[in-house]
Amino acid sequence: MLAAPGVVWLVLLFLVPFYAILAVAFGDLDPIFGNAVPVWSPFGWDFTLFTEIVERVFGGELGQVFIRTFVYVGLALTISFLIGYPVAYFVSRHAGRRRGLLLGLLLAPFWINYLMRMLAWVNLLQEDGYVNDAIAMFGVDRGSWLDGRSFTVIMGLVYGYVPFLILPLFAALDRIDQRVLEASRDLGMGPARTFWRVTLPMSRQGILAAGVITALPMTGDYYTADLLSGSPRTSMVGNQIEFYLFEGSQKNAGASLVLVLSVFLMVAMAYYMWSTDRTTRELR
Amino acid sequence: MVFHPRERGSRRPRVVGIPRREFIRLSMMGAATAGLGPALLAACGGDDDDAAAGGVQLSRPDNPVTLPTFDDVEAIADDLPVESGTLKVFNYQEYISPDVLAAFEDEFGVTVEVTTFISMDEAIAKLSSGDTQFDVYFPTADVIGKVAAGKLLQPLNKSYLPNITNVWESLQDPFYDKGGVYSVPYTLFSTGIGYRVDAVVKTPDMFDNPYDIFWDPSNSGQVYLLEDDREVFGMAMLRRGQTEVNTEDAELVEAALADVSELNDLVSVKLGAEAYTVLPEKRTWVHQAWSGDVVNAQYYLPEGETIDNIGFWYPADGGGMIGSDTIAVMRGAERPVLAHTFINYLLDATHSIENYSWLGYQPPQTGFDPDLAVADEYVPAHLASAIIRPQDFERGHQLLQLSLPGEKIWDDAWSKFIAGA
Amino acid sequence: MRSVARRVTAWAGDPWRPPVVLAMVTWVYILWSIVPVLIAVQFSFNSGRSRSTWQGFSMRWWWGDAQRSLFHDPALRQAMINSLTLAGLTMVIATPLGVGLALGLARWRGRTARASNLLMLVPLSTPEIVMGAMLFLVFDNLYTSIPLGRPAMLLGHVTFSVSYVVVIVRGRLLSIGRDLEEAAQDLGATPVQALRTVLFPLLGPAVFASLMIVFATSIDDFVISAFLSSDLSSETVPIKIYSNVRGSPTPALNALASAMLLGTTVAIALAVLSLRFFRRGARGSAVEDFARLDI
Repeated sequence: MLAAPGVVWLVLLFLVPFYAILAVAFGDLDPIFGNAVPVWSPFGWDFTLFTEIVERVFGGELGQVFIRTFVYVGLALTISFLIGYPVAYFVSRHAGRRRGLLLGLLLAPFWINYLMRMLAWVNLLQEDGYVNDAIAMFGVDRGSWLDGRSFTVIMGLVYGYVPFLILPLFAALDRIDQRVLEASRDLGMGPARTFWRVTLPMSRQGILAAGVITALPMTGDYYTADLLSGSPRTSMVGNQIEFYLFEGSQKNAGASLVLVLSVFLMVAMAYYMWSTDRTTRELR
Repeated sequence: MVFHPRERGSRRPRVVGIPRREFIRLSMMGAATAGLGPALLAACGGDDDDAAAGGVQLSRPDNPVTLPTFDDVEAIADDLPVESGTLKVFNYQEYISPDVLAAFEDEFGVTVEVTTFISMDEAIAKLSSGDTQFDVYFPTADVIGKVAAGKLLQPLNKSYLPNITNVWESLQDPFYDKGGVYSVPYTLFSTGIGYRVDAVVKTPDMFDNPYDIFWDPSNSGQVYLLEDDREVFGMAMLRRGQTEVNTEDAELVEAALADVSELNDLVSVKLGAEAYTVLPEKRTWVHQAWSGDVVNAQYYLPEGETIDNIGFWYPADGGGMIGSDTIAVMRGAERPVLAHTFINYLLDATHSIENYSWLGYQPPQTGFDPDLAVADEYVPAHLASAIIRPQDFERGHQLLQLSLPGEKIWDDAWSKFIAGA
Repeated sequence: MRSVARRVTAWAGDPWRPPVVLAMVTWVYILWSIVPVLIAVQFSFNSGRSRSTWQGFSMRWWWGDAQRSLFHDPALRQAMINSLTLAGLTMVIATPLGVGLALGLARWRGRTARASNLLMLVPLSTPEIVMGAMLFLVFDNLYTSIPLGRPAMLLGHVTFSVSYVVVIVRGRLLSIGRDLEEAAQDLGATPVQALRTVLFPLLGPAVFASLMIVFATSIDDFVISAFLSSDLSSETVPIKIYSNVRGSPTPALNALASAMLLGTTVAIALAVLSLRFFRRGARGSAVEDFARLDI
């Protein structure tokens, strides 16, 4: 009963709109503006353009964009874990009196706009910016960080999404009962083995959750690459979607791309749900 | 659908701190500009066999189009009182002088509220959703046809626009809107090459084909093209001597795509439309750029930088890319009389020049003598190629509306280019 | 001296010592995450128009400049008001919806529950551009009685915020367990009474955390707002930031972002303090609940 309003809301404003994407991808364009004219009935759907897009994804240049996107997201996610896991681990287990302060600081990035945080880097990375000033002090040559290199885009993604990754990890690590770890210690396991055999497996769910909550939105990101690079060589799937949806005469191509991307994301989501289910069952 | 437009996501504010130029006496030598090339006006309809974009006729200089009017979309009557209140304007970002707006507000005791858009497509999507109500809208010449056919505009009542006579005669009766039924001209622009004199090894003039400067590996990492499929591929076509820049021939577009795609590996090309800040700050050396942005670069110089370091190339024979923007009144305008009054105000000789001195984009005013633009210090002497004369429109090439299937060809090619493969 | 040395040796010899390396990683991370933001704030006080080269302190971009400063540019002020109003309303609507959904989901079993659970989780992982496009299409073509602009934006923001609330509240519910509620019912309380007198007070910090995260995600959102806004009257701060970036942004933009940062920080600090004052002794902390984003 209590859940009803929320469920109805999500059905009307999430499920129905998702159907609208289908209706547009397989729908018409108006002949004057080229705006999308959704076809609501599946019997009237036209799959020509969608097929074309799918072909361009599997075998065409769009495929390379998808691959580039997945590589960027994969690398950014890995780096994010390398940074985020130790941080979440430390704050959940060893922060002591500073715990409140540290948590507050971890949340701080949430209070400043994502675009603004990216912009801050754009300015730091300018040829005459602070980053180059800093490395010049060590005798390193000034670099052109913003000349369209993958490294900058990936680090931008890491910077933007790490705060979201840390929270689910923190939740999972914090939930691990201290007594379990003490038991492990009493059984003669060293800290390293305790970590590998106890902590890490027990935080598996948190790792998955963190992955889902960062990697999936990252896959549709377009402004990070836009702001930090601007070169076609670092463009992501989101940039293609943006082009077809905001510009271009084919909103239905944009919607088709959204669908293709959604299929990939749904596979990831399904794995997550399946894995959560299994864990929950094991716990019972 | 996009006719994409020169996305000037970028009209910028004039920089604060720069001494306001004195208001410069208008040169009243417009006569020179009258009598535009017959090419523009001569051709007359007749061939109806041109591809129509869903009922929208594709206008070309040699095939002028009278836009359709509708019984349910009427122009306002004569001699109505001017409304008070807030005038709602829909324009590119920073594409009108705040000082001119303020002066209009003072003179008529009204408020002007400007909503901005980043791309013309985005603008049209919002307008055609029917959820937005604006009085005045600034479409590019290439989209006028479809916004009129889509019944988004109302025909103008010329009795409120006596200042239209200040405009170049050729543009009082433009091929894209014969008789100026729905629109009046606003600004002019050409597309050329902006570059840093102090950085490039060879300036555009030193190349056999000046467009080759974009392909010169010695500029690697320092090359920007406009973020716009029509401008970029159109440039590649002109480079090959293919001047039909509104072609819908897939092979020609593919060839342009192939050429432009070389730039990814050759010079790691970037896309943007901020030449007026990127060039003065020396964040790039070579930038495909609109004339107005290069003219405006003089107001964005960091300390110690001089405009002499910035050059602009446009074909000396005039065979480059050129175009114009317009102003129109929305069909659903709540204050149509005020909207007309506002347009007339912008067409006034003095106001249009004041607007120009902030914008950098030149108005097609007969009272503004391009030959005196340098003497009057609107344009630095070495950037004189950014000045546009009526005859430039005879030789220049305009990016115009394509049919929907034609647009698909261009769009898919652009998608392939920005895939960076 | 010797005792210090001994303590250091003992500490270094203890494999279970607090991990210095981890502490360093944590602090370096925190610096890395915050310093660029602080520098951006610093540049809002730049006397020149550069956003990367420091030219001395001035209040020019806050209110000195008569045209472009934050204080004198009505469009920037309007954007701030819009952002704050939108975030406030989103908070007020999304939080009750989410709390209800979380309570319901916690009790439900079976197929419908799993479907609802999925429906709740998917928005969290949907890229903004996908959700923005979806919502634009549906408001433009199906729910045409809801105009673009503030109404559509509010509905859109609530949609992507609800899931955060559910996740946070559900995390809290799990840690509370059902025991207390059952105990209350054993003592004769009706289910509604049990909910009201036992569960709701315990959920306090989680609800507060939800309010905060909804507020944070709402003022941060750019893509969905951009799709759904109609004109100047509905433009939010991120929309302003993005369109400025595509032009030639001045430090007034930094001032705008700094003002938002300052405003929200003060609001949150006040809320945290007052909550502490009124609810002394209550268990749990909102900051902890926020941080425990357990999806």
